[in-house]
Amino acid sequence: MSITAPPETPATKNPTDGARTAGPFRRLSGVPHAGLIAVLIAVIVFAGVETDSFATSTNLVNVLRQVSVVAVLAAALTLLMTAGGMDFSMGSNAAVTTAVAAQFLADGRSTAFTVIVSLLLATAVGLVNGLVVTYTDVAPFVATLATATLLDGVALLVLDGLSVSIGDHLSALGGGKTLGLPNLLIVAVLVLLVVGLVMKFTVFGRDAFAIGGNEHVARLSGIDVNRRKLVLYSLAGALSGLAGLMLLSRLGASSPGTGGLQLQLTAVASVVIGGTMLAGGFGTVVGTCLGVVLLGVVANALNLLQVSSYFQQISVGAVLLVAAIANQLHKKSSPH
Amino acid sequence: MTTTTALGTARPVARATAEPVVRIRDLTKRFGGAVALRGVSLDIRPGEVHALMGMNGAGKSTLVQLLSGAYQADGGTIEIEGSDRPGLTPRRARRLGVCTVPQRRELVMALTVAENILLGDLPASRSLVSWKSVERQARQALRRLDIDIDVKRTAGELTVAEQTMVEVAREVRRGGKVLILDEPTACLGAAAADRIRALVRTLRDEGVAVVYISHYIDEVLSVADRITVLRDGSVVHSGPAAATDAAGLVRHMVGREVVSRRPERPAPSPAVALTVRGLSHGRDISDFGVQVRAGEIVGVLGPAGDAQSRLFDLLSGRRRPDTGELEVGGTAVPFGRIPRSLASGLRCVTGDRRALGLIPGLSLDENLMLATDRLGGRRLQRRSDTTRRAAPRRESYGVVSLTRNPAVGSLSGGNQQKVLLAKWLETSPVACFLEDPTNGVDVAAMADIHALIDQLASRGVAVLLASSSAEEVMRLSDRVIVVSAGRVVAEHEVSAITHDELVATALKGHAR
Repeated sequence: MSITAPPETPATKNPTDGARTAGPFRRLSGVPHAGLIAVLIAVIVFAGVETDSFATSTNLVNVLRQVSVVAVLAAALTLLMTAGGMDFSMGSNAAVTTAVAAQFLADGRSTAFTVIVSLLLATAVGLVNGLVVTYTDVAPFVATLATATLLDGVALLVLDGLSVSIGDHLSALGGGKTLGLPNLLIVAVLVLLVVGLVMKFTVFGRDAFAIGGNEHVARLSGIDVNRRKLVLYSLAGALSGLAGLMLLSRLGASSPGTGGLQLQLTAVASVVIGGTMLAGGFGTVVGTCLGVVLLGVVANALNLLQVSSYFQQISVGAVLLVAAIANQLHKKSSPH
Repeated sequence: MTTTTALGTARPVARATAEPVVRIRDLTKRFGGAVALRGVSLDIRPGEVHALMGMNGAGKSTLVQLLSGAYQADGGTIEIEGSDRPGLTPRRARRLGVCTVPQRRELVMALTVAENILLGDLPASRSLVSWKSVERQARQALRRLDIDIDVKRTAGELTVAEQTMVEVAREVRRGGKVLILDEPTACLGAAAADRIRALVRTLRDEGVAVVYISHYIDEVLSVADRITVLRDGSVVHSGPAAATDAAGLVRHMVGREVVSRRPERPAPSPAVALTVRGLSHGRDISDFGVQVRAGEIVGVLGPAGDAQSRLFDLLSGRRRPDTGELEVGGTAVPFGRIPRSLASGLRCVTGDRRALGLIPGLSLDENLMLATDRLGGRRLQRRSDTTRRAAPRRESYGVVSLTRNPAVGSLSGGNQQKVLLAKWLETSPVACFLEDPTNGVDVAAMADIHALIDQLASRGVAVLLASSSAEEVMRLSDRVIVVSAGRVVAEHEVSAITHDELVATALKGHAR
């Protein structure tokens, strides 16, 4: 739990807030994310008891491999949302990246060229988001929803409506393993770890908390808020690009509808379930990890239980709601 | 802030005969290991203004929160109208007629005054709102308390004093028999504070039991019938207001004599460290100029909300004035650029610590080091390291917290103000602009903060002090500039003017 980055442990806050509510989660109130962990354990136990294949190491590793892409997006989003920002276009940015990279590879360009150019492109898209949000005062929600739609269209345009295969390019990333763990998972864990450390131990990370907490104060305290925002949005773009490449390497092809707003919503849901505040000022990478894993496990369990796809969507929504409520109850019963 | 007007009015005395509407007995409350209240007993009678005084953290807020049902007591009883009320909740307290008007306004700012007064109780026949009846009832509620506000205005465009009045009218209309007013005159100018005090007297005459919380001793003495002083969670004094005086109250509150007297400071150096010339911005401020020498404190006195309260935005670089020049330590500083203002060595300390001073969600230590770390170009930050570096500041500014490193938003107002000052004054300033540095702090903290500002000037920093309190300006400044309606109306050496003359100048300027 070393990469959690709350301002301080909730258990030792102002005692005058302590006695406000004695909810059912009271005893767990010292444990961060207790509500979320409880829901996660419940889902895992249920799935483990009901199916034979869930609790196998192959399946669990597979679940983690599947959530890697969302995890990378969610990591970037955690940092951005803590700083009071929001980017709805990350999934669509990833979609454009998969499309562009697939076309490059299909055209016979080298893997190194493809990776570098598509990452630069994704970063540039993030920077544009940042410029719009910082200098026009358009709400991030609106601005990035617009770019998301725009980028979804661009992705279709690049693919010309067809599926483009990349052969065995990028297979080292998508299918390879190191020390028995999928490379995709390792990349995701590294990204989460770095973001977590940045949020806790660097002034850049703490600036994100300050900007999200009170932008005026941050500015007056000598933080270059505009530059920070540009960097944060560019970072979100760059990691969207990385997520796009990971997605492409896993699927081996880019087809219309890969990534996009649906992927983005999963990432946003994971971050919010993880307790990061939509209004900014608070966020933890540990919470985000739990959120990502919870959504992944639920989807996997429903698959194994052979629930019809309609019910799958209903169940995912229900779990989301339960997790969010558990989170909120826990937050209320904790001091502060 | 309060003594700028005549406060005294005839106080009806023989009211103490009425039966208490609230009887509090041996109330105790603990938060974890800390004891907030230790056996408090109190009677609140109708038609009486009962002032509750005490330092930050003395237990006033806890008492009020128990009374209004926000918290449950650990021991003791609260009797409302003769029957014991255990397990009081905010809703039940309100139904029993115990209403609180908190420090921060609780109006829906986008709705009209009328809608706010009838909030949750809109008269409607067959679920259609009858706006005529809404306005009539709202007007009635206001008229009953002699409040003159157009009910069709939206709450957001009212002044803070008017918002307070609307809130009071709402509570009285809902059947408030016990009205708890938490520092209703904080941050108000003299005239607005007078209106609030007049309202309090009207409430008393209407037979409402008013619990009045205020830090302003003169105000309490003028408006209260009975004064109870809390210290460290116990009642240390309770009696008729007529039987006590300011010095006695301070002694009760602090437990010792508090002296905040002008110390001998080294004479300011001849070098001018801060120059403002021809500063004009809209109608708020016009042709304002001042020169402050190193080691000198210059006060800018004006009614709350006048020209001096615009200076923060303009000097800090948040807003660009229409015209004007600024020099810090001999070099010109462009307006409208926060980084340039900071780089010049000018430190602007806001009077609005909630909106512009601190980041409530971040920890105490992080807030203390926020500016220092950014100005010093720090890249890495470890919590233990921040705490170690913040420790001397906590010590020298006297910031106390019950837990190790709480979120700064959970501290008392006085402590927050000290954190704000420490955050800025420890960043090696050349010149400082301070806006209402003792806003909402108790007498002891006020004396501490005054001493800190003295030390700041003694270190050779030029201090420009904006305030709406004549006492504070007299206590701290070497020179004082009086502003009114955006213009400078007078400038005096403080040694050459008495407090009363200064107040008279300020009022005269106001009348023009």
